[in-house]
Amino acid sequence: MNSSSGDLPSHPVIPEEFRLLCMLHNIGATTMEKSMGIEEVAQWTEVDIEVLRHHLQKLRDLGYVEFVEVGGTEKYHVTPIGITKVMTLYS
Amino acid sequence: MQSASGASMKIGMLTWEYPPRIVGGIARHCHDLAIALALLGHEVHIFTLDFPSAPAFEETEEGVKIYRVASELGHPNFLTWVLLFNHFIEKRMAEVSQRIEFDVLHVHDWLTAPAGVASKYLIGKPMILTMHSTEHGRSGIHNPDSHTIDGIEWWANYEASKVIATSGSMKSEVCDHFRLPWEKVDIIPNAIDSSKYHGSVDHGAVRARYGIQPHEKLVLSVGRLVPQKGIEYLIQAVPNVAWRYPEAKFVIVGEGWYRDHLHHVAGTSGQAWRINFTGFIPDHELIALTISADVLVVPSIYEPFGIVALEGMAAGVPVVASQVGGLAEIIEHDKTGVLVYPRNPDSIAWGINHVLSNPDHARWLAQNARTTLQKAYSWKVIAKKTIKLYKEVAR
Repeated sequence: MNSSSGDLPSHPVIPEEFRLLCMLHNIGATTMEKSMGIEEVAQWTEVDIEVLRHHLQKLRDLGYVEFVEVGGTEKYHVTPIGITKVMTLYS
Repeated sequence: MQSASGASMKIGMLTWEYPPRIVGGIARHCHDLAIALALLGHEVHIFTLDFPSAPAFEETEEGVKIYRVASELGHPNFLTWVLLFNHFIEKRMAEVSQRIEFDVLHVHDWLTAPAGVASKYLIGKPMILTMHSTEHGRSGIHNPDSHTIDGIEWWANYEASKVIATSGSMKSEVCDHFRLPWEKVDIIPNAIDSSKYHGSVDHGAVRARYGIQPHEKLVLSVGRLVPQKGIEYLIQAVPNVAWRYPEAKFVIVGEGWYRDHLHHVAGTSGQAWRINFTGFIPDHELIALTISADVLVVPSIYEPFGIVALEGMAAGVPVVASQVGGLAEIIEHDKTGVLVYPRNPDSIAWGINHVLSNPDHARWLAQNARTTLQKAYSWKVIAKKTIKLYKEVAR
C-alpha cells in the first residue's frame, strides 16, 4: 500500500482572509491585551487597509477575530477558535 | 543514576499543542501519554505554547507539570514565528533544568524540534523524537516553506537518539524519506483512554442536537478539514449512500482551511441538506456524538496513524476507513472494521452501505474492535514501551 500523498494538490489555495488570520496570530495579536489597531496590522502584514478591513470583518463574522474599542480606536485579536483554525494549517 | 536503575525517570516533553490548545491528535497523544507515564511513577514536565485563559504553569492531579510559554516576539512569517517561540521554550527549559535534572527529552514533530535540539546540548541528555507525520506526506514539498520544514524534520531525525513512529507505514516513510537506519526507528502506536467512552449517553438527545431523527442513520466523520483527510471523497459518496438509505444524514466535525472548498463540493453534490458541518465541538460532546453514531467514516488519503479510528472503536461504533497508512494496520478488514479504497467515493459508499445493511454484523465488528483496542492500544501498554525506549537511550 502506498501511504504517500505525492499527488495531493501541490499548490492548495489558501483563502486570503485565512492568510491574514495566520499573520495576525503570528505577530502576537492573540488576546484582548495584545489587540492591535488596523494601522499596526497593516504595517506588519503590508496589506492595504481597506483590504484588511474587508477580511477582518469576514473573520469576525466567522468568529475567528474579535474587535475591541480602546480609546476610540478599534483593535483586533484572534479568538481561541481562530488560533485553533490557524493551527490546522501546520499540525 | 536513576534512569539506569529502573527507577523513576525525569522526562522533558516538548509539544506545540497541549490541552486546551488542541487541533489534531498530538495534543491528546501528549496529554494521555504524560498522564500514563506519571501514573507509572515517572516525573513528566511538558513544555508547550500558551493559550488564552490557560495558566502559565500548572500541575495536574497526576503530577504532570505543564509550562506554557508565551512567545514575547511575533513575526508575520510563520517559520520565523516558529523559530521565535522555540527560542522562548528553550529559555524556559534552560531555567527549569537548573532545578530539574532531566534524564531524557521527548520532542513531538518538527514544530518544537529547534528547542529540543538546543536543549539536548544544553543539558547533555538524549532526545527522542516522535514523528506523527511528515511534511512530505502532509502536503508534499511544494514551496520554499515546505522545503524548510522538510529540512527541519530531517535535522530533528538526525539529532534524535531514537525516533518513534506510530505505525509500520510511518516507520517506512521516515526511513525512506530521511534515509534513516532501520534500527533507529521504533514503532510505538498511539493509544486511547477508552474509559472516556463508557459513560451513558442519551443517544436520541445527542442526535437531535444535530438534526438527526430517531429513524435516521447518522454517518459521522471527524478530522481537520484539510486535503489529506479525504473528506471531499466522503461528500462525493453521499448521493450513492442516500440512494440506498434516504434516511442517512452526515455529520462532519472539524475545522480547517479547506472548509470553503468542502462546502462547495457539498453544494455541487445536490445533497448539501444532508450534510452538517459542525466546526469544532468540545471533547465531551464529540464523545457523546461518536457513541451515538451508526457508523464512523475515516476517508483519509494520508494517515500515519489514525487515532480517530481508535476513538470510534472505543465508542463501540463500526468504523469504515481508507486502506492507507496506520489505518490499514489498526483495522482488520471485515473483522474489526471495514477498509475501503482511498480517493474512491464508490468504495467509501460501499463500505458505509455494508455496515448499514447488516446491524448484527456491524455490532460484531464493533465488539471485535473493542477487544483489539484493549489488547494493543491502551496507554498503560504504550507508556511502558515508551519508558523502555527512554531507558535504552539514557543508559
